[in-house]
Amino acid sequence: MAGLGYRREMADWDMSAVHADFFEVAPENWLRRDTAPLHRLIESGRPVQLHGVSLNLGGTAPIDAGFVREIGGLMDALGCVHYSDHLAASGDAHQLYDLFPIPFTRPEALRVADRIKQVQDVLGRRIGIENTTWYTNIGDMAEADFLSMVVEHADCHLLLDLNNIDVNRKNHAGADIDTFIARIDLSRVSYLHVAGHEFDARFGLYIDTHSQGVESHVAHHARRLAREHGTPILLEWDNDVPTVDVINRELSCLQISTPT
Amino acid sequence: MPADFYAYVRGQTDTLPAGYTEAGMRAYRYLVRLGARQMVDAHFPQLRPGLGEDAWDTLIAEFVRQSAWPSHFYGDLKDEFVAFLARASAEPAD
Repeated sequence: MAGLGYRREMADWDMSAVHADFFEVAPENWLRRDTAPLHRLIESGRPVQLHGVSLNLGGTAPIDAGFVREIGGLMDALGCVHYSDHLAASGDAHQLYDLFPIPFTRPEALRVADRIKQVQDVLGRRIGIENTTWYTNIGDMAEADFLSMVVEHADCHLLLDLNNIDVNRKNHAGADIDTFIARIDLSRVSYLHVAGHEFDARFGLYIDTHSQGVESHVAHHARRLAREHGTPILLEWDNDVPTVDVINRELSCLQISTPT
Repeated sequence: MPADFYAYVRGQTDTLPAGYTEAGMRAYRYLVRLGARQMVDAHFPQLRPGLGEDAWDTLIAEFVRQSAWPSHFYGDLKDEFVAFLARASAEPAD
């Protein structure tokens, strides 16, 4: 099963021509907007899931219960099974509309897990957290161990982003995908994210731009997890969005053949 | 996360927070300014060509430097920008 991150740039597309099995949107983009396009996707037999950007799980601002309740209302209205956000900060006590790394330490893991539990208590259901790209960070834990500790203590789902593992491997000589997933509990994984990224010579870093096709070895790992664990895969393409044909080609590379 | 991490990202200081790399911190500062730049440019498209690149860059950098944005909604940055301009224009000239 292969899904697609639905973008505003796709509003004029004939979505029946997009070969996605499900879609994902950022709730922050739809809470104040007419959700008719999302209902049309759902009526075509393809569910919509929510993937947020502003919960600020790693930040210091109190969890905004009113905002979380709005998300819950949107989940109910759209029949969403999954709502996730990033294992990152989107600011300190304020928002900066980007994603910043949480130090990989035990105290931080426990602090953030408590914040996730607060969100889940308000929502009355589990959320998912996504492992993120980071460009510099501190701490004494391996990223996969930090992630596992947060997920276990919060008793939440994991949205496993294979592209982010690959970007971090390139930038920091970190764990490759096999090594990373060997250290996490795959039964916690709700679905996978894949995307493309670009090297930025100004920083000497690969940046998680979501503006390219998926690298073949990342797609390979995604298909393997889908085949062995039945894990759905979602393609993120958020910048320089290509044509429907290119999107469909990428989606077809993420499909696994069903034994007959 | 140490407070000086965000002071660097906002451009309030060029002193690196302990343990973080210079390249990574520059990337974060760039990405935050890029987000602000894109939102302001989308809502006030006449500003950038009117100001010229240097003044435009200075304006965006100052907008981010003084930021304390409370909203979950990125689109609300346009209102923050208007409020920032109002505050700046109310300040007595040197």
